[in-house]
Amino acid sequence: MVVEGLMNVFSDPLVILFIAIGVIVGIIFGSIPGLTATMAIVMFLPVTYTMTSTQGISMLIALYIGGISGGLISAILLNIPGTPSSVATCFDGRPLAEKGQAAKALGVGVVFSFIGTVVGVLLLIVISPLLAGLAIKFGPYEYCSLAIFSLSLVITLSGKDLVKGLIGAIIGALLATVGLSPIDSRQRFTFGSADLTAGFKLLVLLIGLFAVTEVIKYAGQVRKPEKIEIESGVKMKGIGFTAKEFFSQIFNCIRSALVGVGIGILPGIGGGVSCMISYTVAKNSSKHPEKFGTGIIDGVVASESANNGTIGGAMIPLLSLGIPGDPATAMLLGGLMVHNVSPGPLIFDKNGAVVYGIFFAMILSAVMMMIFMLVGMRGFIKVLNIPKNLLLPAIVVLCCIGAIGDSNRIFDVWGVLIFGLLGFGLLKAGIPSSPMILGFILGPMFEENLRKASQLASSDSAFRHPIFFLFMIVTVIVVFMSLRSNKKAAQAENSIASE
Amino acid sequence: MSIKKRVLSGFMAGVLGLAVLTGCSGSSSRNNAEVNQAGEDWPNSPINIICTHAAGGDTDYNARLMARMLEKELGVSVVVNNVTGSNGAIALGQYKDSKNADNYTFIMTNTAALTGNLATGLSDFGYEDFQTVGIFGKQSGENIVVPADAPYNTVEELIEASKQNPGQIKFGISTGGGVYIAATIMSKEYGAEFNIVDAGDASSRLTSILGGHIDASIVPYSGIKEYVENGDVKVLSTLLEEKPDLIQDIPTAKEQGYDNLVLNTMYACLAPEGTDEAVVQKLNEAMQNVAQNNTEYEEEVKKYNYQNPYVLSVDESKEELKTQTDLFMKYADDLQ
Repeated sequence: MVVEGLMNVFSDPLVILFIAIGVIVGIIFGSIPGLTATMAIVMFLPVTYTMTSTQGISMLIALYIGGISGGLISAILLNIPGTPSSVATCFDGRPLAEKGQAAKALGVGVVFSFIGTVVGVLLLIVISPLLAGLAIKFGPYEYCSLAIFSLSLVITLSGKDLVKGLIGAIIGALLATVGLSPIDSRQRFTFGSADLTAGFKLLVLLIGLFAVTEVIKYAGQVRKPEKIEIESGVKMKGIGFTAKEFFSQIFNCIRSALVGVGIGILPGIGGGVSCMISYTVAKNSSKHPEKFGTGIIDGVVASESANNGTIGGAMIPLLSLGIPGDPATAMLLGGLMVHNVSPGPLIFDKNGAVVYGIFFAMILSAVMMMIFMLVGMRGFIKVLNIPKNLLLPAIVVLCCIGAIGDSNRIFDVWGVLIFGLLGFGLLKAGIPSSPMILGFILGPMFEENLRKASQLASSDSAFRHPIFFLFMIVTVIVVFMSLRSNKKAAQAENSIASE
Repeated sequence: MSIKKRVLSGFMAGVLGLAVLTGCSGSSSRNNAEVNQAGEDWPNSPINIICTHAAGGDTDYNARLMARMLEKELGVSVVVNNVTGSNGAIALGQYKDSKNADNYTFIMTNTAALTGNLATGLSDFGYEDFQTVGIFGKQSGENIVVPADAPYNTVEELIEASKQNPGQIKFGISTGGGVYIAATIMSKEYGAEFNIVDAGDASSRLTSILGGHIDASIVPYSGIKEYVENGDVKVLSTLLEEKPDLIQDIPTAKEQGYDNLVLNTMYACLAPEGTDEAVVQKLNEAMQNVAQNNTEYEEEVKKYNYQNPYVLSVDESKEELKTQTDLFMKYADDLQ
């Protein structure tokens, strides 16, 4: 079966060609803010209907891996995450680029994306039934507590000003309530508008907050340009970073990839959360947490290993349970079923060769992704040479196309512009945007599962859910610890200031 | 040309290319007067189909497969776009207006969404606000499933068990959908006393059954097939009115004496109000021809979703939609 799977992928030159095309298209979609991995898969899914199953599935997987990886390019070079999965890559990737180390940031991002993918795929191959078993243990109680735990990370993401971080998180959670409520589909804040009934999309919020805000910010500086010269003429040596730097990140990388896999196997959370959780975990357990956000490779490694680890993680419930973990894998599920592969507990018995084919396609896609990105890096950096007054409008156009492309509505373009203005206002008020995004994703997850759990409560007590209690206890500890470390940091700063 | 300029123009070309790539999906509205006396030479330009559900699902697959076959049948390209959100209500609301009636814009959706949204109050329009083109497919059925080790083997035993322990059997549904309506029918008509809990969409409901979070649910056949073979879950009955041709070993709820416990999800093609009658008729005939005479279509639809080709004429489709709407509207007060 293994050999057959291997043959399926490598004996057909068309499969390799489609993987190459998929990876390149995926990277392009990933790197352009507004276009995401999911959209690439959506667009190519109908194209694969007429291919053989190995060709079609391999291409979809290549698009997925390319799409998730490509997001780091614009996150680092433009401070605009190309996909929700690379939000946390901006935190340290951008400062690195501003220090003239864009090449290093890109190199680190690409290589650790590759390692993250491989760790995810290896876990997928080796212990996927075990992890799938864990995933189905997560019911409403468990998800509810996981949402609370993840929301507690807002404290770390807020930096010094906790109040402003909480304001951001609450604005995010409130924005997510617009539209139909979970469970009973009641209309909230819709003002009779059919468009508002569908609510705001994460993608729309994200490109508004990052891309449009970036443009407005730049427009505000046109008359008095800041003297930040981004060095783009730097000679690139090899892949941009040293072997010593590589080995110093091994532990960070493995831990982050595991966080990514862990989030990936839980249906419905996705790479956007995994990169932020992994970033905060890396920061909290680092010896020098104060350096995070100033441009160190640790932050890029944490974010990029995690979001790529999420790919392997999300494939676990997809293949062994038939349950998609995020929108991209939901599309993949459709693709698999079209090609007569039914994911589920019997997939190894019935479609063993196809499954091994998928594993090989994933590895091959990851290798190609790394090669294409490392080769292309010199080209990507040239983007910084383009005068911003030409580059940024083009990006806004692309963002708007992406916003429309997501569900074919002009309304979403207005959403992008309004969130852009909102983002600029919040920037001026010093309210950070990452807690807002976390609130936007986790708020609905918390609400939905709280309500589901309360429906269960009459015949299923919380005391039968050990994972629920575990998360609650960990949350209390994390809140306590991070408040204390925040306080210490504030005191240290005060004493420096008073000296 | 300097390097800088070359990079720049390359970038701009890329932007343009992408704009064409993704932008071509936008629908253009044509001049009504020009095509209204169409009928005769229709179709002579590409047809736009709006699918109300996301790519990858059964509604989308049926729409795209039919579109691909219609392309050969009609000799013009048939382009499918997905306008998603609110269980199809967004797309249906957007395209029901006669301003979209250009004889080249059609909507493909499923009947559970169309009639269910009206019954649950999610939308305030039904099939009557459109011109019915035709029903062109029938889902392989929603099924009542329980874990394999559950003590009940028939729908009757399940309902009896719920009466003995009122509120203890957790029955997972997704609020507002056809599955919710089926659970409401079981409670209102047949006295079941479940603890009806929301367990999300079909795949989440399946996960919840497997993880032991709920005791029973309703899931489409294509999702559970593997688990039935594997011995993890068992099927008590299908909710289709008649047994699907390709799955003969599952009894219908109707056979077991539950006449009103019926959920016939079908795929329907609609046109905006004001579309030419002759055009509607012509498109319906083309769909009938595909479903009845095209072996490639038959193979693909069997392979993917255990469906047999199924198609109704314009009048039959209207009748079917009316029956389904009436059934759902009977429970509207309990649902809203």
